[in-house]
Amino acid sequence: MGMAEVRPEEVSAILRRQLAGFEKEADIYDVGTVLQVGDGVARIYGLTKALMSELIEFPHGVFGMVLNLEEDNVGCILFGESSQIKEGDTVKRTGRVASMPVGEQMLGRVINPLGQPTDGRGPISGGTYMPIERKALGVIQRQMVKEPLQTGIKAVDTMIPIGRGQRELIIGDRQTGKTAIALDAIVNQKYTHTEKAKREGVKPVYCIYVAIGQKSSTVAQVVDKLQQEGAMDYTTVIAATASDPAPMQYIAPYSGATLGEFFRDSGRHALVVYDDLTKQAQSYRQVSLLLRRPPGREAYPGDVFYLHSRLLERASKLSEELGGGSLTAFPVIETQAGDVSAYIPTNVISITDGQIYLESGLFNSGVRPGINVGISVSRVGGNAQIRAMRKVAGRLRLELAQYRELEAFAKFGSDLDKATLAQLRRGSRLVELLKQDQYVPMAVEEQIVAVFAGTNGYLDEIPVEHVRRYEKEILEMMNLKHPDLLQEIAEKRDLSDDMISRLKTILREFTDSFKVTVTA
Amino acid sequence: MKNVRVARRYAQALMSIADEQHSIDAIAADLEVIGAAIRGSRDLHLLIASPVIREGKKQAVFEELFGKHVGRVTRGFVTLLIQKHREVLLPEVVEQFSELRDEKQGILNVDVGGSTELSRAQEGDLVQRLEQHTGKKVRLHFAVDKAIKGGLVVRIGDTVLDASVRRQLERLRERFREGGPLTTTNA
Repeated sequence: MGMAEVRPEEVSAILRRQLAGFEKEADIYDVGTVLQVGDGVARIYGLTKALMSELIEFPHGVFGMVLNLEEDNVGCILFGESSQIKEGDTVKRTGRVASMPVGEQMLGRVINPLGQPTDGRGPISGGTYMPIERKALGVIQRQMVKEPLQTGIKAVDTMIPIGRGQRELIIGDRQTGKTAIALDAIVNQKYTHTEKAKREGVKPVYCIYVAIGQKSSTVAQVVDKLQQEGAMDYTTVIAATASDPAPMQYIAPYSGATLGEFFRDSGRHALVVYDDLTKQAQSYRQVSLLLRRPPGREAYPGDVFYLHSRLLERASKLSEELGGGSLTAFPVIETQAGDVSAYIPTNVISITDGQIYLESGLFNSGVRPGINVGISVSRVGGNAQIRAMRKVAGRLRLELAQYRELEAFAKFGSDLDKATLAQLRRGSRLVELLKQDQYVPMAVEEQIVAVFAGTNGYLDEIPVEHVRRYEKEILEMMNLKHPDLLQEIAEKRDLSDDMISRLKTILREFTDSFKVTVTA
Repeated sequence: MKNVRVARRYAQALMSIADEQHSIDAIAADLEVIGAAIRGSRDLHLLIASPVIREGKKQAVFEELFGKHVGRVTRGFVTLLIQKHREVLLPEVVEQFSELRDEKQGILNVDVGGSTELSRAQEGDLVQRLEQHTGKKVRLHFAVDKAIKGGLVVRIGDTVLDASVRRQLERLRERFREGGPLTTTNA
């Protein structure tokens, strides 16, 4: 920079000007006294004019947020090391509610819930401050969810379609691939930032990954992976790790929503992943109990429902007058031994517009992603699916449902009629077809071709163990020999009768030549 | 802390009686005598705080100590506190009573910190300015605090008017750290 050009006399001139108003200024502020401190919360005497969720300045640069306003004291949560704060310390009101800086400069960075960078890449300058807790928009400002948010995961995009502005829950036990689904969705947004997407009229999606109560090493791995995949260019990671104070973990998702709203309100699209809200609820429970709020079911305070509903209500699709931006939310919930009837899972299930349910049984038997498509739903995304996808995917769900029903009988073996055998044959191949590796998101047009082959019986003659190779090779062949057809699907977003017959011809030829390689 | 509310209740009750009998000043003086005695004697403090010593004993001690120095209403009040097992609140009640009295008489207690002692003229000037600003009678409590380096810190209730050099330096440091615009003078 121009460091060399700053002459010493200039520096002194600036300093002198700065110090000119020095002695006249009197600063007016409100103060209180710390009565009690510990475990990330503090009680303060005084501060009679404090506002709800106002930031309070403690000694040693620690900040707190007002959470309880009582008759003769104020309850605060602390966003820093509470061991340095003593009883009797003087605290100051800042006059502003808890807020964070937002802006494009946050992309590619790892920050804490207060917007301060934690990736060691220097300060983030600029950006306007927005309150962390904001009221969700009303009915007038919104419109129906109508554009698809492609996750690049076959099982999701075909049967559990998600629209921009939707709230889709990802739920399952530990180690079932919840984070993998969310990360795949983020990685897949890379295509929305390409020239090709621009031609197809797909607007870019900015991503925010909020890590709550995870190990720092896990967060580092995620960031590393996103970087490798080139996804950090349009992504911000907000990390409140397991070692951060509980109040930080409690506010982290709200920070994520605030940053997402910045993109939404400027007419763009954002995707925010809250990974995971179970831990956030636990942090909030800790803070609430320390503030002596009465415990309710599972010792959670009475307002845990509101805790999550006010967060998820902030996801929305704006009306055209407001720019038509959107904020899509992927909350993640971890269950214990598949128990979805626990308090927090039932709450979040009832708030969201559907859920992706992951099962450890499926995951361990090799069905990855381990999505139970029978009980996974998307209540609004169907409208957002492109027509071509709706045409081919409609039968998929039905056939899989029938397959699952028959599968139980098939265990007894013997004496099955022809129709049943055909159904079983089809089902087992569709299950195989929906398997997908991590970090290999698939474009919509490719998904359409693959699923079309499955539901139209081209896979029935192929042995199950060859299905994935079939899929790989047909897509390679399509990209090589028929890129025009793929492009047509992507651009028209529909399958005309002509396109269907062309696709059928291609598939028939390919299947015949593929069979030879199987028997050989 | 949790006792403040209870102490205030008792102080309010005593205040309403004092008001009726037009003897606020007399009772305030009585309480000040008791308060000073408790502050001055650790033994007396331990006596009122002890749950082991019987009611009658405590009452006898108070009677002997203050019987001749305080009025009838105050004695009755102390007896009531002892009967209700609230004698430990006595110092708090004394404090609350004087606060209530100041409120009633429109007196504002203002804490002032300065790096050096104020001259009489300065103090008078300060009191006059504060009275103009608040519209109340001001009672100044001055204390020397070397840490503020220069200027004055005035505290009225929860609000602080900070015109100290320490605060100026803090603000300067904040501004340098935030890297805000250096060319504009302070807003």
